[in-house]
Amino acid sequence: MNEIALIFRALLRNKVGAILISLQIALTLTIMVNAVFMMQERHAQMQRPSGLDEANLFYLSNTIFATDYNQEVALRDDLELLRNTPGVVDAIQINAIPLSGGGWSMGLQTEPGENQSSAGVAVYMVDDHAIHTLGLELLSGENFAETDIQWRESGTTRWPAKTIVTQAMAKELYPDDWQSALGKTVYISQTQPIQIIGIVRALQAPWNGWNGVERSMLVPYQMETSNSRYMIRTEPGRRDELMPIIEKALAQSNKGRIIRGLRTMEETRERSYRGHNAVNKILTTVVFTLTLITGFGIVGLAMFSINRRTKQIGTRRALGASRSQIMGYFLIENLMITTLGVVIGSAGAIGLNIWLVNTFTLSPINPVLVVIGIACIYLVGLLAVLYPARKAANISPAIATRTA
Amino acid sequence: MLSMTNISKVFQTDEIQTHALRDFSLQVNEGDFVSVTGPSGSGKTTFLNIAGLLETFTSGSFLLDDINVSGLNDKQRSRFRNEKIGFIFQSFNLIPDLNLFDNVDVPLRYLGLKGKERKERIEHHLDMVGLASRMKHLPSQLSGGQQQRVAIARALATHPRFLLADEPTGNLDTHMAQSVMSLLEDINTKGTTIIMVTHDNELAKRASRKIQIKDGRVSELDKVIDHDIDVSPQAIA
Repeated sequence: MNEIALIFRALLRNKVGAILISLQIALTLTIMVNAVFMMQERHAQMQRPSGLDEANLFYLSNTIFATDYNQEVALRDDLELLRNTPGVVDAIQINAIPLSGGGWSMGLQTEPGENQSSAGVAVYMVDDHAIHTLGLELLSGENFAETDIQWRESGTTRWPAKTIVTQAMAKELYPDDWQSALGKTVYISQTQPIQIIGIVRALQAPWNGWNGVERSMLVPYQMETSNSRYMIRTEPGRRDELMPIIEKALAQSNKGRIIRGLRTMEETRERSYRGHNAVNKILTTVVFTLTLITGFGIVGLAMFSINRRTKQIGTRRALGASRSQIMGYFLIENLMITTLGVVIGSAGAIGLNIWLVNTFTLSPINPVLVVIGIACIYLVGLLAVLYPARKAANISPAIATRTA
Repeated sequence: MLSMTNISKVFQTDEIQTHALRDFSLQVNEGDFVSVTGPSGSGKTTFLNIAGLLETFTSGSFLLDDINVSGLNDKQRSRFRNEKIGFIFQSFNLIPDLNLFDNVDVPLRYLGLKGKERKERIEHHLDMVGLASRMKHLPSQLSGGQQQRVAIARALATHPRFLLADEPTGNLDTHMAQSVMSLLEDINTKGTTIIMVTHDNELAKRASRKIQIKDGRVSELDKVIDHDIDVSPQAIA
């Protein structure tokens, strides 16, 4: 430690290599911190609860091709068959699947009129079995009654009189007191009144990248459509067993349609976040590779420096430096180089984050992440220089008397 | 002061053994100026390395300042070198990235001296070798003779008991060699014990004792009683 000033002055006379490695460290820190930040953001998105009993849910598509198909009767028969199948907890027809990427959205507003602001909301058309089937938690209010369920003909623009919204939607409509949303009449399609009769804790929209993904509403509709979906909830552990049974039962019960596209909610979640997972893996690889390259860069610079200064090290040993002092010399030298890189890199990391925040509306970086990044860089620097420093410490002082 | 008895040094490879020193015995007393000559490969540098604790020996006994150095570990040997031995190398071995002040400062920092004392010592010794005015210069800005004088200042700054010089004039022209030799003689007259390895018989003759190493053994021992040397500052500069 008593050589710090000398090490610094010697370093100043050999700046190029040191500055290049410092810049590499800075770049690594900048990318590392922001990449980890982006990974954390994605991971947090992936961890958001959908509100569903995902482990026991699956769905299928019911595609009608027969021309003499009575959809209303067939739907009633299908739901009866599904609900009476042993092992099935409940089942519904639904117009869209959470996290699937495709669905309906509307705007809800607290005041009627064209010029009133509205909040976007995902619309799920379901019957009174939806809360039970999806496994939603009703925080306040009540479920739809059987009599609330209306038959929605294709192309209609009429909306039912009641709705159940998520807590996030209630907060969006009534930010000061979300519970006050219960019983309130809000407006859909700008002017059609619809009363909030219930609030559920969570039900994610079909689009995971939407910033309003937590805002959803249930409307009491059963639909006339040639391509409907049934969502089925099974008893725990029986989902996979029941999927082929139900597929076969539905297919046999009515020959005028095709049963296809069976998929579990777990698979839907996995597919929904496949992009997130891929980006996280790429970012992890980039960070790991960059850190490794930086580590090798430090090793390379230190080894080059040691090979170039073998005689100098021997001379220092001859003049009285112990092995630990020689090791300390290279550790301190590396610490200085790393510190320069860390200073530039910290500024770079924060600067890049400001740019990302402004450009992609991300949230600001957590300073703790920068601190952890700095600690990682110091650790990588220390580990990288350990071997070269040990090699330097083992140089014999007798080297000093060699003339070559 | 320095007592080597039956020192042997064997370099061992997979196939061959090389005896660099064989039953090498030598006594050096305080204040001696010993020149060591010998043909290339005779063991001069090995002797110097062992004497300077830069290298260990295979067998024998070596007392330095009445301390049996074979019992010292690496850290103790480093401390011993730092406190008691000054080195002068043929290639000067100055650190090219440090100016003269910092070069002389290197062993003083290992000694653990405070800044003020280090500064006084550095300035004094650079002044002694006539280079105080150039202490901020880099070694590359000096001539070979000047570099060697810086190396001498560095070696003396720790106030060593012994000065080991390995061909100190080997890379210098005759004039510079005489100047450096005069400086060493001056240092010796002030009480520092010097052991100097050299190829130059003329310079060797100027030492108070002259030994020759041949095939790893002290083959000749000659004591020079009188010689007339000019050690005035003019001769040194």
